[in-house]
Amino acid sequence: MSSRVTRILTTSFVLAVVLLPIYWLVSTSLKSNREITQEGTLYPHVPTLDNYVRLFTEKQFGSYLANSLVVTFFSVAIALVVGAMGAYAIARFRLPFAMERKVGLFLLTLRIIPPVVILIPVYLLMLSLGLLDTWLGLIATYTAFNVTFCVWMMESFFREIPVDLEEAAMVDGDSRFGAFRRITLPLAAPGLAATAIFAVLVTFNEFLFALALTATPRAMTMPRGTATLIGRIDTDWASMAAAGVIGALPIVFFALLVQRHLVRGLTMGAVK
Amino acid sequence: MKSATQAPQYRLQGAGLDLALPYLMLAPGLTIVLGVLVYPLWDGLRASTRAYRYGSPVADVGIQNYVRLWSDAQFLNALWVTVKFVALSVSVEAVLGFALALFCLREFRGIRLLRTVLIIPMVITPVVVAIVFRLIYASDAGMLTALSEAMGGGAVQILGNSLNAFIGLVVLDVWEWTPLMFLILLAGLQSLPHEPFEAARVDGAGAWRVFADLTFPMMRPVLAVAIVLRTIDAFGTFDQVFVLTRGGPGEATRLISIYGYDTAFKFQQTGYAAALFVTVGLVVLGLAFSAIRLLRRIDAS
Repeated sequence: MSSRVTRILTTSFVLAVVLLPIYWLVSTSLKSNREITQEGTLYPHVPTLDNYVRLFTEKQFGSYLANSLVVTFFSVAIALVVGAMGAYAIARFRLPFAMERKVGLFLLTLRIIPPVVILIPVYLLMLSLGLLDTWLGLIATYTAFNVTFCVWMMESFFREIPVDLEEAAMVDGDSRFGAFRRITLPLAAPGLAATAIFAVLVTFNEFLFALALTATPRAMTMPRGTATLIGRIDTDWASMAAAGVIGALPIVFFALLVQRHLVRGLTMGAVK
Repeated sequence: MKSATQAPQYRLQGAGLDLALPYLMLAPGLTIVLGVLVYPLWDGLRASTRAYRYGSPVADVGIQNYVRLWSDAQFLNALWVTVKFVALSVSVEAVLGFALALFCLREFRGIRLLRTVLIIPMVITPVVVAIVFRLIYASDAGMLTALSEAMGGGAVQILGNSLNAFIGLVVLDVWEWTPLMFLILLAGLQSLPHEPFEAARVDGAGAWRVFADLTFPMMRPVLAVAIVLRTIDAFGTFDQVFVLTRGGPGEATRLISIYGYDTAFKFQQTGYAAALFVTVGLVVLGLAFSAIRLLRRIDAS
């Protein structure tokens, strides 16, 4: 009996610790600035959606959202195609000088280096190419980051698929690439999904490079646009909270939808 | 080309274009990575040996930028703050995550809900996580102040006080990343073999003995990997600090990434900032490789 009580208490405590901050964000987003700073209420006494309306009418959050969706879509899609091919080559072929293994190790090493390390040269590169504050600049940067871990993640998924199936297809007249496309790729679909989900999450949430590489609503992503609301002297708490909700909603919804794949992606590698 | 020692993959030999296939498949990915990651890495190395004015190089200064780092009190402070932040956050996360994973190993009602809810903190955009905690800490509009006032107290000062702001940042990181630690460790616990635990139960071993003699030793490799992953990640923390405190008050929460960013983009010292980031990159790679070596030793024993 007592262990059951402990269990219920622990579960409620953890739930409260996780959900209370989120409750406060949502509740603040429904208050007026006057209610927030002067009355200090614990829940919205006069709930209003004004803060949300303001984000889209006065603060260009529509553009931020559109930019985020475009940039995330293209950088994940390109990285998946390119990464799947690379991963397959590393998983299946034995090249002279163990080249494929060296390439794999090299990509993994690049993945370990914190992105902030190449922030300055990437900024200088985009500056010289005239790609600052454009979709293309962001897409190129995010695609490169995504490729390093798409290759690494998908390689292990391809290894799990028996090679015999491809051989059979080739005996039946498929080319090497045809066997990859028609046999291996569909079998690796769950792995591809896990990889894609993880890439979407990381790309949609990225802030540092968006901060350095974009400056106007032309290319600013959601996290970058949200940060513009945070001035030196914070007064507009209500907009900030609403921006937080709008920024978090799509990605939390997405994550809960694909929860199972997500957990697989997050924990893999660590346990293997 | 047939011998018993060759990998089974070798059996798949096509003809013609198929021989070039591996190279063709690797090429697009490598091209992107070389262009957008490796070239900048090389360019960053070059930039770190130069002095810049208004974003263009004006002089070669050799290793001077690197030498200067070690007599720069602000750099040394940022390094120290980062080490403190990483050590404190990651160890708290490891302990809490492990405890929670052990707790959730037994199936009971409510556990699905718990696992689902725990996903939320780590998927929310880090910028939004920082906003959430600003709304908690703010002395005029924050949750803590509102709670304190509801109970008859006064405003709570978190972000204006050095120690409180630093602890506040650690609390943010623990809230955001304990769930990842938890998920990795739970997956690790679930993949442990059952037999030793059944044998221990038959022998009548107590819960603590089972943990100390079986669970913990068997979980050591997974625990080590989880800690290494989090440590590397925490070293590059930027977004949350940028939004929560901007490094302040004073230099109390100025992590190395924030200092580097300010050096480059606020103070326009491009070459010096490049040297700083090259140093950070080397430190993290060094950490990672010694961790890998350590893990291999654990695996071997």
